[in-house]
Amino acid sequence: MSAIIEARGVVKSFGQTPALRGACIAVGPGEIVAVMGPSGSGKSTLLHCLSGILVPDQGEAWFAGQRLDTLTETQRSEVRRDKFGFVFQSGQLVPELTAEENVALPLLLGGARRAAALAEARAWLGRLGLDGLGRRRSGELSGGQAQRVALARGMVGGPQVLFADEPTGSLDSVSGEMVMSLMTRAAREQGSTVILVTHDARVAAYADREVIVRDGTVGSLTGAAPSAGTAQSSEAAR
Amino acid sequence: MIRLGLRLAVSGGREAVVRLVIVAIAVGIGVGLLLTAVSAANAVNTQNDRYAWLDTSASSPSQTGSGGASAPLRLLLTTDEFGGQTIYRADVAATGPDSPVPPGIPQDPGPGQYYISPALSALLRNAPADELADRYPGHQTGLIGQAGLPSPDSLVIVVGRSAAQMSHLPGATEVTSFNTTPPGSNGGVNRGDGLGAKGLDLVLSVVALALLLPVLIFIGTATRLSAARREQRFAAMRLVGATPRQISLIAAVESAVAAAAGVAIGFGLFFVLRVPLAAIPFTSQPFFPAELSLSLPDILAVAVGVPAAAAVVARLALRRVNISPLGVTRRVTPAPPRAWRVLPLLAGLADLGFFAVHGEPASNSGQVLAFTTGFALIMIGLVIAGPWLTMTGARVLARRASRASTLIAARRLADDPRAAFRAVSGLVLALFIFTVAAALIATQDTKKVTPVDGATAGNTLIDQFLTITDGGSATGSAPPPPATVLTRLRKIPGVQGVVEFQADPGLTITNPQLQIQGFPAAVVSCAQLAGVPGLGRCPAGAAAAKVPASLTDIGGGNLAEFTWPAADVPARRLDSLPLASLDVATNGSQPAIEQARTVLENAYPAGTGSPQTLGEDTAAANGADNAFQQLADVVILTSLAIAGCTLAVSVAGGLADRKRPFSLLRLTGARLGMLRRVIVLESAVPLLAVAAVAIGTGFAASAMYATMEMRLSLVSPGAAYYILTSAGIVLALVLILATFPMLRRITGPETARTE
Repeated sequence: MSAIIEARGVVKSFGQTPALRGACIAVGPGEIVAVMGPSGSGKSTLLHCLSGILVPDQGEAWFAGQRLDTLTETQRSEVRRDKFGFVFQSGQLVPELTAEENVALPLLLGGARRAAALAEARAWLGRLGLDGLGRRRSGELSGGQAQRVALARGMVGGPQVLFADEPTGSLDSVSGEMVMSLMTRAAREQGSTVILVTHDARVAAYADREVIVRDGTVGSLTGAAPSAGTAQSSEAAR
Repeated sequence: MIRLGLRLAVSGGREAVVRLVIVAIAVGIGVGLLLTAVSAANAVNTQNDRYAWLDTSASSPSQTGSGGASAPLRLLLTTDEFGGQTIYRADVAATGPDSPVPPGIPQDPGPGQYYISPALSALLRNAPADELADRYPGHQTGLIGQAGLPSPDSLVIVVGRSAAQMSHLPGATEVTSFNTTPPGSNGGVNRGDGLGAKGLDLVLSVVALALLLPVLIFIGTATRLSAARREQRFAAMRLVGATPRQISLIAAVESAVAAAAGVAIGFGLFFVLRVPLAAIPFTSQPFFPAELSLSLPDILAVAVGVPAAAAVVARLALRRVNISPLGVTRRVTPAPPRAWRVLPLLAGLADLGFFAVHGEPASNSGQVLAFTTGFALIMIGLVIAGPWLTMTGARVLARRASRASTLIAARRLADDPRAAFRAVSGLVLALFIFTVAAALIATQDTKKVTPVDGATAGNTLIDQFLTITDGGSATGSAPPPPATVLTRLRKIPGVQGVVEFQADPGLTITNPQLQIQGFPAAVVSCAQLAGVPGLGRCPAGAAAAKVPASLTDIGGGNLAEFTWPAADVPARRLDSLPLASLDVATNGSQPAIEQARTVLENAYPAGTGSPQTLGEDTAAANGADNAFQQLADVVILTSLAIAGCTLAVSVAGGLADRKRPFSLLRLTGARLGMLRRVIVLESAVPLLAVAAVAIGTGFAASAMYATMEMRLSLVSPGAAYYILTSAGIVLALVLILATFPMLRRITGPETARTE
């Protein structure tokens, strides 16, 4: 089965500092891949290039047979809104909005009617054990609750790919496990691919496969059987 | 998206509402000041226009215009004085039913009637009749309306006369319409009333610039409150797929909502404060409240322009976030300002320098354009050059820093000098404006009329009949005073003596100390002069002396110390000579001066003008300058106030945006004192660095302006300037210190936990 998302020889530098030096990775539909590596190795940059947040200096980023890196900023924004979901370590909730409005935000940005978007958001909050917290703002939520709201927001649009960058980095182990458990369950229920950046082995254990990023290149670490599709390491990628 | 933007702006929780309210209030204050400045400019123009009819003469430009009446009006316009205030008097006699009628009254008064301004009416009621009311024959038939009055405090009277009476008043003319050209306009008749159109255009252009830029900076600063927080929010939205366009729209809606609320507050403030503002004598005369008005274009420009400008500013401010949804976590250090930023400032100085060397443009509009361009370039140039100067100062500071606070402040300044300069930009502009105004006023003061020294001379009331023409010759005289007049004058309590200056054509006098050479002379009886020692004395044994024919046209000096040269005029001839002036020495009390003036005006109803003391004459000569100084004071105080508001809002906003890093620094052991030093240094370095440039530039620009427009060398302003400048800078530092309680509160440990 062909990859749903793929990086081909991606090079990305910040000023004089290289972050990625020809990184390659291909991830199949429904696969959960953990991207691991030491600090500064380029894990997050790889995730940003794959999700269209950053444009590679060289190389290509592909999603569902479409090149992402040649799209305009607006087109990439639309892909992020309609096809992707995001869960980051912190700072991704809009503090002025309530929890349910935060979850509904991608739908509202996509032009959904407010009532429908909020109904969908409430349903997701309920699935993630956040019943009754929909009217709270992010400052009134615990770290674990805020992260579950972020997860709900990431999943509410039925994303084909969920990008998670250290999603449990600011949580204790119990909250972290709850978030990871909910995330993987929701992703599998929806058939979403998950690309999970972490340096925590316990978090990586939720993935079907682990790859390691070192000095801006991707290498294979483990090869757990993918739940669906084909997983390829950088060596296997063309 | 508009709905989402509105939702974020108006119901985004307590913090969002507080931010909206603060921005709206700040914009409201700015808009209120802007509207006041615009309406004050309109009011100054209207006030100046209202002086036009008081300048009507047979040669007034509008006389030949269409609409002239077939039956002319016999008219004599004179000025009078009471207690140092000018009274405008029009004696009129209609020659037919369609004779022109002065503005503000329904019809020309008949003989024995007069229309009077409300202020003069009140004065007539309160002052003793022999000091004022006895000057005006007849009775009051009505009040002069606003259309005929430059100011609510104007003292104006329109006295009805018969045609026969008018024929006996020298100087009366026939007019078919009233002048509508304001004083000082090209072709207009300028008696020195109002501000003069040429000066007015120039002054109002500079005033508009001087007020507009600080106000715009203030509004810009206010709309950027919590910008960092907003950028975080927008970056989070970009992450989940908001397009740059959607973010722009939301930002524009948010800013426009706050600005629109601010505009509403500003209009409210303006209308509430309009009446008290009108009472402030911006031009040394208060305005009618209704004249502090706004035209439809003014209203539309502010009501639409400010929210639109706020939306544009918001759009521009978001450029960095639009580049990447990771704007929060991967903030790129802005490119450092380049040295080209000083070019507009240098261009402004070059503009003024060019005209200082090659002479000002010939036309009035050319001069306005040249000066406005030069000053505008300098003021805009200061704002553009400020970040570069700040960065340069910060780099020097960073190289020499030995304390943590200095290093943090210097590095932060060097990292983003634009933000640091923005906080003090208003104050820097205010200092430039203050320096220019103070230096030019000090220079202008040097050409003020030097008063004639000596208390007795200053309190001597002079009814002048002989006038000195531009060519330096003498013209005009009056018949000798009846004995009854002299008796009445001498009987007034406080009158010390009366002396007649007799005109003797061809006689001249030279006196270097009084700056006169070949000046027309009059002859005075030594017996009379002995009774008025303040006006000098005769040489021993002389019967008559030669004195300047007009004491109001000579330089300063203590007249009491002069011994005038003897005049070889026999006593019999002296009595037959016509009168050059009748001078009444008083003790300086208002009743004595006003009673004597009343007697003189009734005895000589159509002299060359109202009898004036030498002190009043000096004050009148300097009156126009006082109006300009008053306007300059208002501009200085207003721009300093706006600048103070900008600084306070900017420092407080900067603190709010950095509460997380500061609270983290405190958590890691940094003492509050160290953070305070960082805050002070961050504001003080750009303030002092650019203030020095602003003050230096202000003096340079003033010197060039003084050379070309005033034809004077620049004079250093007095101690008040230096004290006020220092006070302004100290006040700025105090405003920074005033944010310290906020620093303690927002950098507490709970901030690090919840942010």
